Amino acid sequence: MKILTAAAVALLLQTGISTVAQAQALNNNPLSDIRVRQAIAHAIDRNLIVESVFGGYAVPAIGMLPNGPFKSPNLNAYEYDPDKARALLAEAGWKNGDSLEFVYYYDDQITADLMSVIQAQLGDVGINMTYNLIVGDVAKTLNSIPADPKGKSVVNWDMAYGARAAMVMQEYFNDYATGKASADGFPGSPELDALILESNTATDPEVAKATLMKIDEYINANMLTLPLYYQQLMSVESDRLNRNGGPYGNDQFNYDWDVHAWTVTPDANGKHILYTNGAPFDYFENPWVNLGLWAGNKFIWAHMLGAKPFLDGITSGDIAEAYEMSEDGKTLTFTLREGMKWHDGEPITVDDVTFSLAYALKTPNLHGIVASVLNGMEGAADYVSGAATSVSGISSEGNKITLKFTAPNANTLIAFTQWGPFPKKYFENVDPTLVQQSEFWQKPVGSGPFKVEEAKFGDFSSFVPFDDYYEGKPKIDQIIAWASADGDVNMVKNAAANRIDFAVTKVVSDIEAIKALPHMRMTPLDIPYTRMLWFQMYDQ
Amino acid sequence: MLTYIIRRLLIIVPMAIGISFLIFLALDLSPGDAVTRMLNPMQSVDPDRIEELRRALGLDAPMIVRYWIWLSNVLQGNFGRTLTGGVPITRTLLERLPATLELSAVALLLSSIFGAILGTISALKRGTATDNALTVAGMIGVSIPEFFFGLVAIVIFALNLQWLPVGGRLLPSYTSYWDHIPNLLMPALVLSIMMTAGVMRYARSAMLDALSREFIKTARSKGLPEWRVNLLHGFRVALTPVIVLIGFRLPMLIGGSVIIEQVFQWPGIGQWFVMAVRAKDLPVVMTVALLTVVLVLVVSLVIDILTAIIDPRVRLGGE
Repeated sequence: MKILTAAAVALLLQTGISTVAQAQALNNNPLSDIRVRQAIAHAIDRNLIVESVFGGYAVPAIGMLPNGPFKSPNLNAYEYDPDKARALLAEAGWKNGDSLEFVYYYDDQITADLMSVIQAQLGDVGINMTYNLIVGDVAKTLNSIPADPKGKSVVNWDMAYGARAAMVMQEYFNDYATGKASADGFPGSPELDALILESNTATDPEVAKATLMKIDEYINANMLTLPLYYQQLMSVESDRLNRNGGPYGNDQFNYDWDVHAWTVTPDANGKHILYTNGAPFDYFENPWVNLGLWAGNKFIWAHMLGAKPFLDGITSGDIAEAYEMSEDGKTLTFTLREGMKWHDGEPITVDDVTFSLAYALKTPNLHGIVASVLNGMEGAADYVSGAATSVSGISSEGNKITLKFTAPNANTLIAFTQWGPFPKKYFENVDPTLVQQSEFWQKPVGSGPFKVEEAKFGDFSSFVPFDDYYEGKPKIDQIIAWASADGDVNMVKNAAANRIDFAVTKVVSDIEAIKALPHMRMTPLDIPYTRMLWFQMYDQ
Repeated sequence: MLTYIIRRLLIIVPMAIGISFLIFLALDLSPGDAVTRMLNPMQSVDPDRIEELRRALGLDAPMIVRYWIWLSNVLQGNFGRTLTGGVPITRTLLERLPATLELSAVALLLSSIFGAILGTISALKRGTATDNALTVAGMIGVSIPEFFFGLVAIVIFALNLQWLPVGGRLLPSYTSYWDHIPNLLMPALVLSIMMTAGVMRYARSAMLDALSREFIKTARSKGLPEWRVNLLHGFRVALTPVIVLIGFRLPMLIGGSVIIEQVFQWPGIGQWFVMAVRAKDLPVVMTVALLTVVLVLVVSLVIDILTAIIDPRVRLGGE
């Protein structure tokens, strides 16, 4: 088997650059002509954008996948070259001054600045760019596609600016599959579809990695999407906080960050209080939606498995003490950890886990990667449609839970590092469609190292150590989290007033301001987060 | 007057219903709904599950049906639950109302008293250094955006002098009501200073207008002392437009001050309202809007009555 795998990887890596589209428009849409897309790539100076708009706090992008182990050596950098851009446009029959309409969905000043810089750079090569912020139904405006891949475009924009914050690398590419409603604006190709399928079903990480690199090469060679820059996440910490060797990782998701071992300098009353942000305004969010995005969710929920800091593997079990994946990648067995408890003191049981697995299938807004794994369980479709009263792929015996899948999925294990069960007794009478509307989210009963003590919505939430946490009682006495949205506008102010010990940010102006605070430090985290320009290539 | 008041009170009901319908319609016409706002545009979500959620929240019904359901519930005293989190609206309203009330009430009280006094002094000292100084201060007050003034106050009083907290309302360590007064002080004062400037400008203009009237000259010609002319005759008439201005600020008691609440992390109704608008959480938006509308209508009646009492020239309902 290992020999076969090695041969497959070698074959994938040795295959030359992917098929490149013919140099002509494929329909009435000028953006279906690869020369126009390549011209745009050459017209935009990504280095200048990173330096001027982002103050250097980003990395110019070549390829969709972030720099690191997944970076293919066979990518065209599309260096800034306006003369080449003009030549390509002339070759494609572009009329000087023809217009392209851009849309974007970030309502911050930096994005507006970025749009004006791109407008100037495209104007320099003869492309008249207009841009608009999408308001209202953002998902529909971005992700609508014609039923027939050769049909007319159903959106009224030409290019869109957006981002992909990936939990797993496959997330960068799954939307390019034929018929998938998404913003990439690419009608699809059999070659790319085959690669996408391979990247999702390969159980060998090396094969999956090689396939992902091939997809990046394909998109790059055909300029299906123009990656602009990789965004770094900054971990912001005060000099009161000591992680005691706990690792840094992708703080947009869950990983083994050992928060139970963190310490903070005690205050005047001798109390160890950690101040952070991300507390809710109205209710705690169901952690199956945005996974580890909210600090509160990371503190109060445990997951089936533990992840390495950048989600590049499994560290150990969490709620599951052990796990076993069959060689064909279709059967996963968890052994539940003995003695695990919910925050209300009740034991976490096999029944809680099996109930939650089935329950999750019927909840709306389940995170895409988790949904793709859970929907792959045998009998999941019948259960969701109502044809079956249980999921045939879920079974249990003693403290073991066995899940059978219809096909292998490269992301099965990593999905269970982000997913954990809910206590059944609070949800058995709650319609899964209205899971978020349950009273439970006013003061959730979790399973992680800290439990909710008090929530003054819109003001703060307080978390205290969970005495029965299996890795030991956390050393911090209390966590006070200020209510904030993602991209906390009050973070700098609070940090200056010694009211932030831990936070994360991607906001350039915040990073600049935090740098000026002597009691604060920042650690850049290279997360898989690429900002890009999508081309709408359907017929017009 | 009693007939007039009863007539006006009766008109408030259809007016509130009419206005609430227009607000509901406007919100419904804007793109998307609460479900689309719950979605991450970059996450693939099963469309069937989304439609199921839309049905479960009652968003699949025609607009007129949804409005009728909402209205009949409200008329029975049931404001419903938030769409996004299923939280009873009355509960959140009652939790947030004290924060908004204390902030707005302090600001309204201080700005009304100081605005009226300073505006009157400015008018009486017309053309002097005092008047010029107050005019400049007033112009600065009405020109500087609230958020900027708030941030400057934070930098000075919270970060540099460290006299007051930087923001927020409560802390787990607060045990009595009075514990959070330091938190209230800065946002309330910033808001009241901004509002004082407006009242002061109005009061000055109204006082100058009143002092130029014939009845003031008549009063002076009768030999009345100057303070009596100014305060009993001039100030009384000048008070009418000032009361109108202050009165129409009363709905702040419900709606709160969005910007000040944002800058000072104040968990009031304004913060909640803005979030609900962004999330297109119609029951929340409609509840706050309806209460504000009713307050505006009631206040406008109260202003009319007060104006008639203060200014003898005003007659209600053509009396």
